[in-house]
Amino acid sequence: MGLRWYHFALWIAFIGVMFALPEYVSKGTLRTLIFANFLAVFAISWDVLSGRTGYISFGHPFLIGIGAYTSAILTKRFDFPLEASIPIAVLVTMVGGLVVLLPALRIRGSYFALVTLAYMELMYQLVQVIRPDLTGGTRGMSGLPTLTRGAENGFYMSTCLMLAVALSTWLLMRTRLGTALSAIGMNEDAVSGSGLSVTRLKMVAFLFSAMLAGLGGAMYVHYLGSIAPRALFDINFVFTIIVAALIGGAGTTIGPIIGAFFLTFLLEYLRPWLPGAERYLIYGGVALVLYMIQPKGIFELVRQSLSKLRRAT
Amino acid sequence: MSAKLEIRNLVKRFGGLVATNDLTFTVEPGESVGLIGPNGAGKTTVFSQIMGEHRQTAGTIALDGREISKLSTPARIRAGVSRTYQVPRPFADMSVAENIRVGLMPDSVWQMISVGPDPARELELALAVGFSEDQLDRLPSELSMGDLRKLEMARTLATAPRLMLLDEVFAGLTVGEIAMISDVIQKMRGEGMTFLIVSHDLKALEPLVDRVVAINQGTLIADGSYDAVMADGAVRASYLGTA
Repeated sequence: MGLRWYHFALWIAFIGVMFALPEYVSKGTLRTLIFANFLAVFAISWDVLSGRTGYISFGHPFLIGIGAYTSAILTKRFDFPLEASIPIAVLVTMVGGLVVLLPALRIRGSYFALVTLAYMELMYQLVQVIRPDLTGGTRGMSGLPTLTRGAENGFYMSTCLMLAVALSTWLLMRTRLGTALSAIGMNEDAVSGSGLSVTRLKMVAFLFSAMLAGLGGAMYVHYLGSIAPRALFDINFVFTIIVAALIGGAGTTIGPIIGAFFLTFLLEYLRPWLPGAERYLIYGGVALVLYMIQPKGIFELVRQSLSKLRRAT
Repeated sequence: MSAKLEIRNLVKRFGGLVATNDLTFTVEPGESVGLIGPNGAGKTTVFSQIMGEHRQTAGTIALDGREISKLSTPARIRAGVSRTYQVPRPFADMSVAENIRVGLMPDSVWQMISVGPDPARELELALAVGFSEDQLDRLPSELSMGDLRKLEMARTLATAPRLMLLDEVFAGLTVGEIAMISDVIQKMRGEGMTFLIVSHDLKALEPLVDRVVAINQGTLIADGSYDAVMADGAVRASYLGTA
């Protein structure tokens, strides 16, 4: 599968740096890192489906929302323990998402993107009108059980989650399945013409993506201890996930992580100067310039620079 | 390695347009048949129906006596029929080896995950169509049209077909590249592969085929030896534009 010693060395170095961070950075930075970790999980989840197969999902919060709401409802309304509610939430996301979105996998291009966007909006409306006694309606829910207390523990929890998601996705995408999924993104008809069932492959990509989104959503809601529908089913949230994956490098595992960290810190460091929505203007500008320099994202930019350096020495 | 193709009373309508009109012909195991006709005659549509990319309106398509027209495209490929396309369709960001790898994959998600690629087989297929070993890491953007056609053939060959459908295999090639592709086809014919070849380049097609089937407006107008079909009045009138 083309695994080399330096792949593992790089992963170990990355894990080492992440776990050493609480010693060197402030609690405020740790809280920013926690959001970066969760954004990385969502961006990886999006990338498995959209970055690889080219089926651009604008409705990923729909999947994240299923996971988050399922676990929140189970713990808050039915006193389920977290150990049970989170796995159930992941399963519900996979099955529920599949039932609703599977027909959409038969349509291509911008139509798929529009359908997924419609599902997100639908979910936003539904949680408000259907059984608000369960979902908390427009106000959402608060006082949910939390997985950790304090910034440091939250950081370790979210880092473990992000690393587990990243490593398992990376290993899976290095198999021939990853090659086949990327091939769909390049030329779906040629994949079918190579004797592979494209619908089945897309379904696998979708299920894996939904699993990660459900897991991330459920754990995120139990990190925050609350859930609010407007924050979750928000177009800005969708764009942040997509831009994180694209800016870092879609179709790779490390790219969405780089993108998520870059975006989170960019927005955070701009906050003292631009507290309002103007920050998004800067971040849009930075994304635009990056795309113009390297459409394949920061990861490709780094890779090209390294190979240039290697050739020069 | 050979397969028999039987097409019986095939009809394909796109609204009011009849693209295939009651077409019947057979390709015997190990035989190489040229499918010719003027532009818009419906040659590629016949290929698309054999592969299941278009479903026929009526008629049957059988491979070794087994009706395949109800099967999906991947199932037909597993049954032993595979095609190349008029415009090569490489996976743009994948190397020659990775492109061939996709063709070699089993249609089982579990096996894709649990079994790694087979570089030796990838190399073998690349060499079989005339690539050199140092071209394996090349991207499609670095290949000539001749090499792209070879890549298309290698990926098709990777699916282990017994019947290969080659669509305009010489289009856009230099004289040297035509000779190179012809050699590959002749070698495979020697090994018993069954071929159905669409080509506008009749001169290049002649040495590669045992028989020629000519169609015009989806209707069969001649079926026989190359010389007999070329001499046929209807073929000359429709295909060559002379009576």
